[in-house]
Amino acid sequence: MILRESFESALNSIKANALRSFLTSLAIIIGTAAVIAVIGIGTSANKALDAEIDEFGVRNLSIFAGQKRRGGVSSGASPLTLKDAYALERVTEHDWLVAPGIQRGRQVQFENNNMQASINGYSVNNFPVRGFNIEYGRLFTEKENLARKKYVVIGSKVASELKTFSRNLLNKDVLIGGASYKVIGILKEEGSSGWQSPDDEFYIPILTATSRIAGTEDLGWINVGIPNDANVDLVMMSIEEVLRRQHDIGPGEDNDFRINDWSQYADLRRQATNIFALLIAGIAGISLVVGGIGVMNIMLVSVTERTREIGLRKALGATPKIILFQFLVEATILCAIGGIIGVFIGTLLLYVFASFNDWPFAMPFSAILGSITFSAIVGLIFGIWPARRAAKLDPAVSLRYE
Amino acid sequence: MISTENLEKHYEVGPEKVFALKGIDLSIKKGEFVSIMGPSGSGKTTLMNIIGCLDSPSKGDYFLNGKLVSDLSDDELAKIRNQEIGFIFQSFNLLARNSALSNVLLPTKYAGLDGKKSLSIAKEMLELVGLSDRTDHTPSELSGGQQQRVAIARALVNRPSIIFADEPTGNLDSKTGQDVMNLLKDLNNNGQTIIIITHEDNIANQSNRIIKIKDGLIEEDNKNV
Ligand SMILES: Nc1ncnc2c1ncn2[C@@H]1O[C@H](COP(=O)(O)OP(=O)(O)O)[C@@H](O)[C@H]1O
Ligand SMILES: [Mg+2]
Repeated sequence: MILRESFESALNSIKANALRSFLTSLAIIIGTAAVIAVIGIGTSANKALDAEIDEFGVRNLSIFAGQKRRGGVSSGASPLTLKDAYALERVTEHDWLVAPGIQRGRQVQFENNNMQASINGYSVNNFPVRGFNIEYGRLFTEKENLARKKYVVIGSKVASELKTFSRNLLNKDVLIGGASYKVIGILKEEGSSGWQSPDDEFYIPILTATSRIAGTEDLGWINVGIPNDANVDLVMMSIEEVLRRQHDIGPGEDNDFRINDWSQYADLRRQATNIFALLIAGIAGISLVVGGIGVMNIMLVSVTERTREIGLRKALGATPKIILFQFLVEATILCAIGGIIGVFIGTLLLYVFASFNDWPFAMPFSAILGSITFSAIVGLIFGIWPARRAAKLDPAVSLRYE
Repeated sequence: MISTENLEKHYEVGPEKVFALKGIDLSIKKGEFVSIMGPSGSGKTTLMNIIGCLDSPSKGDYFLNGKLVSDLSDDELAKIRNQEIGFIFQSFNLLARNSALSNVLLPTKYAGLDGKKSLSIAKEMLELVGLSDRTDHTPSELSGGQQQRVAIARALVNRPSIIFADEPTGNLDSKTGQDVMNLLKDLNNNGQTIIIITHEDNIANQSNRIIKIKDGLIEEDNKNV
């Protein structure tokens, strides 16, 4: 009974001063909206990142050529070669996919249409390591690679660059740098990630590329695909061991190659996103507390304004506890409503932001529940002082108050 | 039912003590209709606040229904105000945003009473004061006389043993004031103890006892039957 009375009078009072209530809870609304939007954006960003990593299928290390150094003096570039790739392939202790590659820019012509394109020399392993899948036709085989066949697999957007359809290109010949290559497969759309746009590119067997296009066995990279649960440090050590032996690097000398662990960058990015989200959530939390101070201020004004009402309620038999409860409920409801409005606004912001960035929309329910609860608790805590003041008012004095 | 012994009340205003009551000995029996008169500032409201359990005396004893109440706790006093006492004020003191019915219901809620039962009592009280067709009206939709009658219904709803009215007709014209007086007289005829503060002689003359107060002391106590 008393509980319901407290709720009713709290709601009545909030409604009666609707504009003031709204302005008071504005800081709470903004704070909650910020918390919700930021947590949601963080979650959505991480989900997008997860999806990106999932596309890689396996964990992916990349080896690049570096500078050869002797005694701190650079003595020219030291390339990665096919021999390095074969040496890595011979290692049996690791369950890895060695995927050497090379890339050159060439003019491509189909019928009367031209495009400038990146031509990738791929070993068959490159496709699974990059997580590329075939849409039409097929990939080339190791046998075709060894035979240096003039076969090409193309990205999903190549056809439109050449003003035709993918289906139409299949099993046709295109001219790459003037030489005729047969299109045997078309990849599924991969989407661009970072600086790469694999959908616009061409993929030919690595040996075809080294012998017919690049005219060198120096590679652009060696990718090494390892299972997700592999011990990356051990794998890296093995790679180092093999390549140092290959490149005849003595003890104490620096590596003349670099190994990149892409998933490490992903972890770093994820960490950065989380730290950023935490930071903003912290700032938003502070704005909630500031909002709480605003609510306390208005509640103190309200207690003073309603001194006579409080005196009357006491004259009619309200105990100090009932009065305390009524004002606590009022402050809590005020902040909780602010929190609910904030959640709506924050979710809306997140929705706009996520669709703008083409991210999946992810909003943890715990964040919604948590931020509404948090703002209600802010109201409860900052309501204590005004409510105690109301509860302590002397009824006889309050009734004389004008 | 009410008996006080040498009641004193002073307020500390800065370093000075301002005496509002300087020793009141008073006893009021069940069923009486008492008027308290006196010039402004003589201590009438202070006296009513103390015997209405809204305030405690600085000195002296106060017995209500045989119970010493001058040193009860805040919660116990709240309970007595809720159960034993009904207040009527000069300025009505209704909750502006609540309907007449919900204003009348407020004391029953503080009593923790069952909703249905108190609802029917509240309606009965509004009928008693002649407002059964105004239960949903808010105070701003009622005339002064009607508002004071809602206040009377509210004072009655928990069936108190005493009604205190501090200048109940002070904000009303003489005709509606007389209507309110008639209502109070009817209640008294049915055995309700009533104590009113007034400075209108024609109002006081309708009660059966007039107590005159001056400077915190009882100056005259006339029982006119
Ligand atoms: N809270 C208070 N603080 C100081 N003085 C007060 C207070 N309440 C009442 N008084 C003083 O006590 C005296 C009696 O006041 P009151 O009982 O209101 O008189 P009345 O109701 O007869 O006009 C007055 O002098 C008034 O100024
Ligand atoms: Mg007075």
